[in-house]
Amino acid sequence: MQMVKKSALIFLMLWFAILLFMPKAELYYTIEESLAKQDIKLNEKSIEEGIFSFTLKDVTVYVKGIALANIEELDFFTLLFYSSLELNNLKVDEALQTKVPAITKKASFTHSILLPFSISIDANGSFGAIDGKVNIMNKDLRIDLIEVGDISMIQPLLTKDEKGWFYEKSF
Amino acid sequence: MKNLFKPESIKIFLGLLTFFLIIKLLWFIVQVTWLATSDIDQAEDQSSKSLYYRVKLTPNNIAAPKKVVQKTTKKIVGSIKEIKLLAIYNASDMAVVTIEYRSKSKVLGSGDKINGFTLEGAGNNFAMFSKDDKNYKVLLSKNTKNVLNKSSIKSVSTVSAKVKGEKVLGEVTNEGSAKIIDRSLLEHYANNMDDIYKNIGITEIKDKKGLKGFKINFVRKDSPFSKLGIRRNDVIKSINGQEITSYNAAFGVYKNIKNVDNLSLVIMRGKEEMELEYEIN
Repeated sequence: MQMVKKSALIFLMLWFAILLFMPKAELYYTIEESLAKQDIKLNEKSIEEGIFSFTLKDVTVYVKGIALANIEELDFFTLLFYSSLELNNLKVDEALQTKVPAITKKASFTHSILLPFSISIDANGSFGAIDGKVNIMNKDLRIDLIEVGDISMIQPLLTKDEKGWFYEKSF
Repeated sequence: MKNLFKPESIKIFLGLLTFFLIIKLLWFIVQVTWLATSDIDQAEDQSSKSLYYRVKLTPNNIAAPKKVVQKTTKKIVGSIKEIKLLAIYNASDMAVVTIEYRSKSKVLGSGDKINGFTLEGAGNNFAMFSKDDKNYKVLLSKNTKNVLNKSSIKSVSTVSAKVKGEKVLGEVTNEGSAKIIDRSLLEHYANNMDDIYKNIGITEIKDKKGLKGFKINFVRKDSPFSKLGIRRNDVIKSINGQEITSYNAAFGVYKNIKNVDNLSLVIMRGKEEMELEYEIN
């Protein structure tokens, strides 16, 4: 029993130390570096590091040098066995508003070790509210519109069944 | 001497400290070996601001070449004035107008003649006639405009949009030496980016220093773009004085295209640099 306790304590300390000393900013810069290879750049006003989280404020998303969207806050939270990425107030450039919804108030992507090959998506905004899942194993994505707002610009991409509008894609 | 701390506690504390140090050291090795150490930010593109602005010195909204035409109109006493424009049906492939001539209404298609004047085309609120190599612009009659706008023009526009799907209304017309782009055409392409790429193929030209310009791969025959006078293999260097050396500059032009009254393209055709000018009506 003592051995189990000791092992659990060591495991807990290891987990905490990994999160505490994780170079979060550098990990973000590395992600930025790989995005830059695809001509996507993120300009942020500030970076805040927490023990379990990492927050970017006022992020402008550039694609091929064009400022296409602005995110008021981008928050990444991880406990290693559970991670989430939350986007607050995403606004796309006026010129793109005929193609994609203008405002996404909140979007969250979550991953749990209980479902290791699945990422859950929840979002709400001018388009209504969505609930979806990405299956990494099957390489497919399904998003259901649970509340319908202004979807005129994305309607050609959507399909309707008895439950309502949905979007499906394989990658 | 009595110990302040139990040797056991000190041992645990030192063990923990060493453990944390090892983890920190491991992360440090990962950081130095694999992770990026600096932020990559997009530099603000200063090139998106126009280098010059075209200023109209004419007191009203009529652009210079059109003014010449209007002067010419005045010289021809009564002849063009006898034609009263009642309604317009303007599709991308042809224009049909209803006119009143000597108290009789007639329907004319592109190329039809009346009183020696040939119908060349039509815009949103005008029809273009030609006679003896001169162009004459006849505006939609104000008396009938309200009624016809609702009954003729708008209903036709809606029907044609529904029937023909993405058919574009408005045209590029020649008025003497000047080419005139119908504003509705410009607005259509500004709101429907996909339609641009159905009619014209554009690829970037890059060198080691970066983007040098945009090359025209193809221009669809009979599309409004072909009427602009641009051809395959032309390289767009600048638009309205704005050098197109970045995607941001090109996007900036695209975003503001609805607000411009004139359009000036500097292109390279082979080794020759050319300037193409258009008016937006």
